[in-house]
Amino acid sequence: MKKVFSSLVILLLAITACIGGEEGAVTDPASYNNWEDVVEEARGQTVNWYMWGGQDNINAWVTGYVADNLKEQYDITLNMVPVVDTADAVNKVLGEKQAGRDSDGSVDLIWINGENFRTMRQGDLLYGPWADDLPSGQFVNWDDASVNTDLGFPVDFYESPYGKAQFVMIYDSAKITDPPTTMDGLIEWIQANPGRFTYPAPPDFTGTAFMLHMCYHATGGHEQFLTPFDQAVFDDAWAACWAQLNEIEPFLWRDGSTYPESHAQHDDLFANGEVWFNMAYNPAEASSKVESGQFPETTRTFVFEEGTLANTHYVAIPYNSPNKAAAMVVANFLLSPEAQLSKADTANWGDRPAVDVNRLPADQQTAFNNLPRGVATLSDAELAPFRLPELQADWRVAAERAWETFVLRE
Amino acid sequence: MIKNPLKNLGRLAIVLGVLAPFVPLVIWSFSFRWFFPAVLPTEWSLRPWLTVFAPQTRVWIATANSLWIGFGTTFLSILIGIPAGRALGLHQFKGKTVVEFLILAPTIVPALAAAFGIHIMFIRYGLADTRLGVILVHLIPVTPYTVLILSSVFANYNPDYEDQARSLGANPLQVWIYVTIPAILPGIMVAGLFAFIISWSQYILTLLIGGGQVLTLPVLLFSFATSGDSGLTAALSLVFIAPAVIFLLLTSRYLTGQNAALGGFGRV
Repeated sequence: MKKVFSSLVILLLAITACIGGEEGAVTDPASYNNWEDVVEEARGQTVNWYMWGGQDNINAWVTGYVADNLKEQYDITLNMVPVVDTADAVNKVLGEKQAGRDSDGSVDLIWINGENFRTMRQGDLLYGPWADDLPSGQFVNWDDASVNTDLGFPVDFYESPYGKAQFVMIYDSAKITDPPTTMDGLIEWIQANPGRFTYPAPPDFTGTAFMLHMCYHATGGHEQFLTPFDQAVFDDAWAACWAQLNEIEPFLWRDGSTYPESHAQHDDLFANGEVWFNMAYNPAEASSKVESGQFPETTRTFVFEEGTLANTHYVAIPYNSPNKAAAMVVANFLLSPEAQLSKADTANWGDRPAVDVNRLPADQQTAFNNLPRGVATLSDAELAPFRLPELQADWRVAAERAWETFVLRE
Repeated sequence: MIKNPLKNLGRLAIVLGVLAPFVPLVIWSFSFRWFFPAVLPTEWSLRPWLTVFAPQTRVWIATANSLWIGFGTTFLSILIGIPAGRALGLHQFKGKTVVEFLILAPTIVPALAAAFGIHIMFIRYGLADTRLGVILVHLIPVTPYTVLILSSVFANYNPDYEDQARSLGANPLQVWIYVTIPAILPGIMVAGLFAFIISWSQYILTLLIGGGQVLTLPVLLFSFATSGDSGLTAALSLVFIAPAVIFLLLTSRYLTGQNAALGGFGRV
């Protein structure tokens, strides 16, 4: 439904633009001499930060800790604008470009990654390159492929890393004492326990991620797909995945006749014991939901021995933002060791750092290592060896479509 | 004698029917770890309410915006509704059916269809992402109702009273203040209530024109509802419902159907 709606928006905007649109201006290059200039210009500016607003503790951290510090240290007002889907923010910038509003846009910063970043880059909707000019950038390992490419698309300093996430499986240890930690083990478990497993329907972000794990497994490994999209390879190799998903479908919740529509709905099913497994693209989410009373206290997480998907999320500045200097200061603040540490604290958010902890001063390294993790969160040592790369966005989009054709409607 | 208990029973049923849907919301809003098959939460907590009223949640900003926009829309729609309603209720003129149709059109054609085009115009005029822009776009779904109600009021209104006042020496302003306004006041209250409640519950138009920057209670509520935190969503829902219920109670005496306000509903 949302997809249909977004496409409708884009279509209408495109039509209107054809009728009366003006030509968009070219992204202006960075024209600051040094960082002090940026900080000076940023003083007194307001930053409208469009971000996914679906998790209360993240929102509270942004409107509390981040906003307070920016005001105090830089006299910047941070206005967090919650959106249901990041694509809404992308559409907004696109709409402004179509309407000829090239210099006084309403979006100053977007929490972004993957398909949305690619869309904005290809549509010339982003300001940059700027991310390598940030003083806090010294703590980022830009040589790391998981940082300098975003779902296979080169970052080229058009977005600045903000945090890292890894997919984990969630279960209730009161119901399952020894969860299967391999894909084959999980498939066996699903068939032995009919009705106790499901996953959110792709293109839900979490549901797509789970589907990709199954496909990596069924197609014999992701290595063969770390290239630009190839329709022939896709049609040929991924059929095994749809066969696999159809094989388990009769054993899913409600006999696989339907799937939870969103991650939140899946959470509800899990919390109420209707299904016994849950999943999240954030290793700390289960812990925060135990703390807020949404999940049972016995909730725990694990990763597959084959590994789980990991990615980096970023912030980017639209080409027509009138407050680029302040937006850069915000991005720099988000990368600062203090903010990254505060963000990594489960009491706030529990997001993994985008900075390379080994590059930080010794006392801050200690602080990171001493952070309490929360009952259900795995340690870095338990997570790090099991990271799998994401494929380029085209593979992902094709897989989401194919899932609807071959699994949902089959 | 036998009629009274029945009447009271009926009233009780109505009150229960109105209040019953709120009971689960109230329970949810104090719950902590409430899972199937427990009939009541196993633990209770003030967490949802503390979170709702924490400054980071920005409920106060959203409430202030919702009130501002609600009253602004109500005021403007009444301002449009009085002359339009008077013309439609009291006078016969060529093309009246067409005018009536055009006024009712927004209730037939989804406002969203027009809103995309309006959005582009508003971006150019600098009205996008502002409260004024949101008020203007709220007028689309609201105005048909205020015009409809006020034209039915004027249909039952006898303009001869105005002539009487005038023949007694009242100037046009005095006629308005002492004759017209008091006569149609119940209708204005009802129309205002409708206008306020319709504006209060707008989501998609606010989101589109306000671009998420004009944070109203429905926008906030929606962003929490999609997060799946039931306790928080329930508490926020109660905050969202409260003002509408208060205004309904304040104006309820005009809604009894025993006055001119709803008298001529079918005559438009």
